[in-house]
Amino acid sequence: MVALEHGGRGKTVSHGGKFGPRQVLLILAGVLLLADLYLMLMVAPTDSVLGQVQRIFYFHVPMAVMSFLAFFVVFLASVVFLVKRTPFWDRLAHACAEVGVVLVTLTLITGVIWARPIWNTWWTWEPRLTTTLILWLIYVAYLMIRSYAPSRRQGSIYAAVVGIVGFVDVPIVYYSVIWWRSIHPSPVVGPLAAADALNSTMLVVLLFSFVTFLVLFVYLVAERMAVRDAEDKLRDVRLALRRSQAQT
Amino acid sequence: MPFALLQTQLPPENLPFLFAALAVSWAGFFVYAFWISRRQQDLRREIDEIRQTLDDGKDGG
Repeated sequence: MVALEHGGRGKTVSHGGKFGPRQVLLILAGVLLLADLYLMLMVAPTDSVLGQVQRIFYFHVPMAVMSFLAFFVVFLASVVFLVKRTPFWDRLAHACAEVGVVLVTLTLITGVIWARPIWNTWWTWEPRLTTTLILWLIYVAYLMIRSYAPSRRQGSIYAAVVGIVGFVDVPIVYYSVIWWRSIHPSPVVGPLAAADALNSTMLVVLLFSFVTFLVLFVYLVAERMAVRDAEDKLRDVRLALRRSQAQT
Repeated sequence: MPFALLQTQLPPENLPFLFAALAVSWAGFFVYAFWISRRQQDLRREIDEIRQTLDDGKDGG
């Protein structure tokens, strides 16, 4: 793991491989993922209508919900960053947006794979799929703004605005199956879910999947934030070094 | 009207789709984790280079 430290008048740089909270999260995520795999393949009952392919549900839905959580954190962190201008909130928003894009990408891909045997098509322009694709485009744009902005500071500010405005699409994605005629199934979690939407074993496996993907999400965000922190500090040290070389 | 149960499970043709979705998800997370790890290695190398430059500067004057 990389860690850079600022010390005293000068800046000291150090890195080491000590066993920290991120390593604990990694091991926990690995163990939970294996247990989740066993539960979804061996314990969860086979759906009487959709068959084996319905098991995609146990990672497709948690990934979608975790992406919503990621973009909610982006929204909150962006608001706090614009008010306080503290780098921590910018780093948190950046890390969550990137992990969120990974999660939405995988949600879309697993959805496409699930759609083929059930709907007999890879893709259809129905409301849930279309609004999710728009969500993906918004946060890809968010990451591109950070990359292509004239300066890092400007990139952070522009991205924060996109992170706040872009979050509007998250409730639209969730409610799209209610507001418009859709072939996508109704929500099984959240305020719109029916009380008997799932059988009890399915519900337990789904809840376990939520916990698993939550731990994985926290681990990936923590790792990405650490990298971003190191990048920022390394840039500062490089600048200081260049200045001192110019003076001598 | 008598009810006849023709089958208890859907045919297993769906299994390749399930395993494809699983493989894509796991691969996606592995690729992303690998990219983060590579970035950490790059940063570590840059840190070592800066350390070396600072050490050379101290030795030189």
